Amino acid sequence: MVLQREATIDRLDRPSAYYVGKNKKRRYNSDRDDADRQDDPTSSLKNATTLYVGNLSFYTTEEQIHELFAKCGEIKRLVMGLDRFHKTPCGFCFVEYYNHQDALDCLKYIGGTKLDERIIRTDLDPGFEEGRQYGRGKSGGQVRDEYREEYDPGRGGYGRAYEEQRKREEEDYGKGR
Amino acid sequence: MADFERRSNGPRGGGGVRKKRYRDDDDFDRRPQRRRYEEPLVVKVRRQLLTIAESAARRPEDDAKSIAKTVAEHYDDEEIKKTFIDLTLDLIVEQPLKIPFLATIALVANGYKPELVAELLKETGENLQRYIDLGGWREVKLLLRFLGCLQSIFEGEGVFAILEELFARAVDLQTTSSEDLLGLELVKVILFTIPYIMASSVTGFEPQASALLEKTDIIASTPHTLVDLVNPFAIKNSSEQTVESVIGLLQRQLQDESTRGWELTCIPRPWKVMQEETAADEPAPAGPGPKYSFPDIKVPSPVPNGPRALFPEVYLSVYANQEMETVPPTSDISSSLLRDALVDTINILDYNRIAAAKFLIDVDCYFSHNIFVKRATPFDKLRDIAGDRSTWKPEDVAVDAVFSQLFQLPTPHHKLVYHHSVLTECCKIAPAAIAPSLGRAIRFLYGSLETIDLDLGHRFLDWFAHHLSNFGFTWKWSEWIGDLDLPEVHPKMAFIIGALDKEIRLSFAQRIRGTLPDPYHHLITEGKEKDTPDFKYASDATPYSKEGKEIMQLIRKKAIDEEIQPLIDAIEEQAKSLGVEDPMLPSTDAFVTSICFVGSKSLSHVLSCIERNKERLLAIGPKSASARRQIITSTMEYWADQPGIAINIIDKLLNYTILTPLSVIEWALIDNLAAGTILAKTHIYEMVSATVGKVTNRLRQIVAARTQPGLYEPQLSVLNETLTREQADMRSLFKLIEDTIISVASGSNDGMMERGDSSGTLPEDEVIRQWGQRWLRTFRRKAAVEESFIAEAMATAAPIGTMAPAVSEDPSASTTTMTDAPDAPADGDLDVADVDGTL
Repeated sequence: MVLQREATIDRLDRPSAYYVGKNKKRRYNSDRDDADRQDDPTSSLKNATTLYVGNLSFYTTEEQIHELFAKCGEIKRLVMGLDRFHKTPCGFCFVEYYNHQDALDCLKYIGGTKLDERIIRTDLDPGFEEGRQYGRGKSGGQVRDEYREEYDPGRGGYGRAYEEQRKREEEDYGKGR
Repeated sequence: MADFERRSNGPRGGGGVRKKRYRDDDDFDRRPQRRRYEEPLVVKVRRQLLTIAESAARRPEDDAKSIAKTVAEHYDDEEIKKTFIDLTLDLIVEQPLKIPFLATIALVANGYKPELVAELLKETGENLQRYIDLGGWREVKLLLRFLGCLQSIFEGEGVFAILEELFARAVDLQTTSSEDLLGLELVKVILFTIPYIMASSVTGFEPQASALLEKTDIIASTPHTLVDLVNPFAIKNSSEQTVESVIGLLQRQLQDESTRGWELTCIPRPWKVMQEETAADEPAPAGPGPKYSFPDIKVPSPVPNGPRALFPEVYLSVYANQEMETVPPTSDISSSLLRDALVDTINILDYNRIAAAKFLIDVDCYFSHNIFVKRATPFDKLRDIAGDRSTWKPEDVAVDAVFSQLFQLPTPHHKLVYHHSVLTECCKIAPAAIAPSLGRAIRFLYGSLETIDLDLGHRFLDWFAHHLSNFGFTWKWSEWIGDLDLPEVHPKMAFIIGALDKEIRLSFAQRIRGTLPDPYHHLITEGKEKDTPDFKYASDATPYSKEGKEIMQLIRKKAIDEEIQPLIDAIEEQAKSLGVEDPMLPSTDAFVTSICFVGSKSLSHVLSCIERNKERLLAIGPKSASARRQIITSTMEYWADQPGIAINIIDKLLNYTILTPLSVIEWALIDNLAAGTILAKTHIYEMVSATVGKVTNRLRQIVAARTQPGLYEPQLSVLNETLTREQADMRSLFKLIEDTIISVASGSNDGMMERGDSSGTLPEDEVIRQWGQRWLRTFRRKAAVEESFIAEAMATAAPIGTMAPAVSEDPSASTTTMTDAPDAPADGDLDVADVDGTL
């Protein structure tokens, strides 16, 4: 029951700055006319029932995700994010609910809490499309796992780009001896 | 200034954004400082108003005075004035803990600029009218609280006049129906307004308050017929009286308070400080300012109710009966006032759990300072507190309020997981203060497991496991080691087994084993650590093992159905020759067990297996009811060590209509009742209540479709038929549950009688009887809630035979509304099968 203008406290069920920013950029790069440009980048999320879920451990299973996310409503579909080459989980997924409200509740109540002892990220998503389940990083996983300098045991250790480099260096070192 | 122009599109942050090229120069720090950027006044007012009373380091009275003076001085600045009025009104209904402080600002402002206050009151009145017309009684309560704090600037009776009018409506409602709940809600609004009037700067209204209380007594103190239904405790100790409702309790507390000169110790009185200080140094130009007539409010008759169904409420504290008093006792009105303000805060702020948690942690900022001990005072230190000083812990009061909502019957305002998340955030903000409070709450709830309502016991279990999963699964399991000797059907043992299973579902067996002391390790069986349970047909000792293996290979190869048929036939032939009554049982077992095994890798795997073999699975039920239940048996047996996966699969099979809700209930409560012992298994309750939930949800969808506005014949009749049919199905489902459990609850179940020495007096028998009673109570309540929901919704629905208006200006208009409603197709054939559950 809301008569007021804008809430005095920020809402947690809004699309992330990342989503808004990404879609704005895209629009400016395309050659569409001005009217199109003024479109709210979040309008495609008005009835969204899908969430992008990030920062999962590679080892987190569908069952674990289901157990947690079903607390916000019945799940229609769950798509695990996979390494493009190895077809193994690479730390993200899409959760689709039957209802828009369940997806919003999930942003409010589950985003930023822990699953499998990691803080997970949730973002409203316009809907899963074939192909999006694969990592877009160079080596097949997510881009963020290419260049990570810290060691993350839940996501394959160091960034893969660095990992490659280190391996090469190690090998060279071995040859040198 | 460039900033100034930009302000209009960002009222929250406001200016302060400087162009980058200036900042670059600033790096040179020995240069004389550039003139400081001054935030526009409106931004400052906004910030001060938004954060009033939030910090223990600032005196809210100072901010109140500063805001009042600024806004009064700039009365001609439309933007400042509008910001002040709009924001005050928003804060009242969004951050109710601040109401006494907001009212104080208005009181001060009245001495400087009466016109400002007149406008504020006018708009408050308009908002109040709108919420009354909508039936938004929580908001009405909060707006009346604000006005109640301002009683001193009203002429005549002020707020009492409208309270009397609301009371008259309550009486009308109560006389019309003895089951009325809306009237009770109005009385609740009245009762929660009175203390704020009496704690305000006004004097001389004691007679009005007492007179009103005398009148509300008869309504507030008569227990509603449904109040037993929402009692959190299912099994009563003989010593306990009938349970008291929230308004019954508050009525009693107010009456006590009226005999004690309205002390109302917990309500803050910032106006008092202001009065003393301004009198001393700088009296306001207009003194206390003029008085106003109370805004003109029309209370419709009868009053409407908002969208939420009403139920009686009872007061629950998880800190009752401790050796030290850490929360106000129910004999003190503070218990009700603190709870009410916190519960509203929790329920309003579900859109930002972090903000909700912050308010809870800061609870001591918003009430009289001397009613609490210092934050995070350890429980053991409370003993050292001298004399009659308070021992109330702010964190206990806060946590208690969250639990009161988590354990609200029949259902809380928001999803259960919201309350989990608020407690998680509280723990993150103030771990040292909150964690020990949660520990004591957990001990209380664990100790109440034998008597608590079944649904609430399950909510406790679900929260407990989820909470631990956010904090490294650390819990002092050692303190329950003694209970490990209890029989498995004991509620405490059932809780331990259920909680460990839930933890494993959110994590994995090995991890959970590592968090447990040795005596628990036998509960994490080897089977639980196995990702893929064994395929029983792999052993040649299993009957039909040859065919079982072949079926499994075919399913794995994604063979077509025709290839499977000969093997099914072979099993059924053998079974027939062995004299098996229903040969479809062994063939179904082999088929479903194979699907489970091939799909054991993940939920998607098993779902695509089911999808591929859907036709055969769908054909089983219509041929043999017991074979349909064999599907459940096979799934449950295959995943015996990980029941969470089994009930998840069963849930999807229900969506595919391969299983029927009735078959699931029959399977659990007839085939596998096991003399009532199955009632102690937490995953069985989970499965049964999820199945019932599916049926009731669907019915609610049908009701929504049937009651949508603009619906005419012939759709009305079609939908009505669907509704009648499905309602009958729902009733037979509840009746089945009732009929099967009642024998357990009364101890007359055949299986129970045959157990052990058949005397029915084994120590476990009493425990099982109580499980029966608790199941019975919970499902009777669920049935009653659904029946009353349907009855209430249908009371205002268009009657059968309503035809569309003869000539409609736009004939397409009515049909569009119908086909556009996504959840309510008007063809009368809501298809649950479109809930396809595919991955």
